[in-house]
Amino acid sequence: MTWALNNVELIFQLTLTHLFVSVVPLGLGFVLAVALARLAPASFAPGLTSVLGAVYAIPSLALFVALPALIGTDFLGPTNVLIALTIYVISSMFFSARDAFASLPPATIEFAKAQGLNAGQRFFFVELPLAIPGLIAGARIAAASTISMASIAAVVGVRNLGYLFLDGFQRRIFDEVLAGLLAIFVIAIVVDLTLWLLGRVLTPWSRRSRV
Amino acid sequence: MFDFQSLWMWLIDSKNWEGRYGLPNLITEHMTLTFMSIGIAALFALPIGIAIGHLGKGGSVVVLLGSASRAIPTMGLLFVLVMLLGVLQRELAVTMALVAIAFPPILSGAHAGIRAIESHIPEAARAQGMTGYQLIRLVEVPLAMPAIIGGFRIAWIQVVSTVVLAPLIGLGGLGFGIIQGLSLRNFDQVVASAMLIVILTVLGDQLIGVAQKTQSLRLENLSGGRNK
Repeated sequence: MTWALNNVELIFQLTLTHLFVSVVPLGLGFVLAVALARLAPASFAPGLTSVLGAVYAIPSLALFVALPALIGTDFLGPTNVLIALTIYVISSMFFSARDAFASLPPATIEFAKAQGLNAGQRFFFVELPLAIPGLIAGARIAAASTISMASIAAVVGVRNLGYLFLDGFQRRIFDEVLAGLLAIFVIAIVVDLTLWLLGRVLTPWSRRSRV
Repeated sequence: MFDFQSLWMWLIDSKNWEGRYGLPNLITEHMTLTFMSIGIAALFALPIGIAIGHLGKGGSVVVLLGSASRAIPTMGLLFVLVMLLGVLQRELAVTMALVAIAFPPILSGAHAGIRAIESHIPEAARAQGMTGYQLIRLVEVPLAMPAIIGGFRIAWIQVVSTVVLAPLIGLGGLGFGIIQGLSLRNFDQVVASAMLIVILTVLGDQLIGVAQKTQSLRLENLSGGRNK
């Protein structure tokens, strides 16, 4: 506890970096997964499913250091980590996004067509809002694993909260490792609550209908 | 762009296939840690998951454990256990961490698989005079098989990706080449090790996927394809 109090500034710095390397992939991955789920032609679906399933199985540290060989980025630093985590978010969120859009009531879509909405209008004003609960549920799962997975980025030199694990372990400071665990847990809860709140704000009708 | 020829040279260099940190040794170590911890976790998680699913009580605990386990950084868990048990006990510590990581998905898989069975099926089995044990063995577990295997699939992914971190606490496994290569700036070693890990993990995942598919197809055929 004293260790954490004496190093508040360091923990704060590392927390900011940790948030950055997890929230950016979450946002990017969310948009790309929705786009892929909505825009990819149906004939791509089986191939896409197996590729994304296989990608999801790749251990994060292996993907962090395999990317430089594939796309020529630097071995150390945040670029690989941001790309790799975005890929994980896509491969986890694609399935929930696909299910969220597939379970929309067909009658509503037909109504929207009958009202004269074009495809773009239908997507932004009808389908996307109705898919929000499913999308948020998927995002919450992806967020939890991304935030915990991001700590492994410390091994490739990104100074986020994972640094507290490596440094604390090397210097035999148990409190430091514990502080890292606690801080990551707090971030995970805060992001989870934010997503939950976002889901409620974006779907006001679901609250009204329940009352 | 990365030089694939030097990567290949590293892979076929015989000195990388010999000794304590040679590839055969590292692969064996990697697989031993993985299979041992998944096996131990299954020993506890399967009976508990099946029992909870069968009795229909305590399901919320399983769901909570499942979602909480996703948020725990496996690296932190690994380090905490090694520090608590002492560096001399690090093999025990890493096994405990891996068992803890494999336990929730196997538990959730078994529980979800049995809960997903439509209630008229166990009722019909009961009406035929089956005992609770027969119901589990002959009806519920066979029907839950795809979900049970699905739990193992997630456990495999989580455990293998944590085993990659074992060299950070002084053990071997295929992650060794990544950690050592990064500190020695030997990037051929880093990428070769990463590629081997990717191949091994994806191969295992695909094999479990095939087993899962086989079980689903078997169930579909049993029901004449009606329950698709």
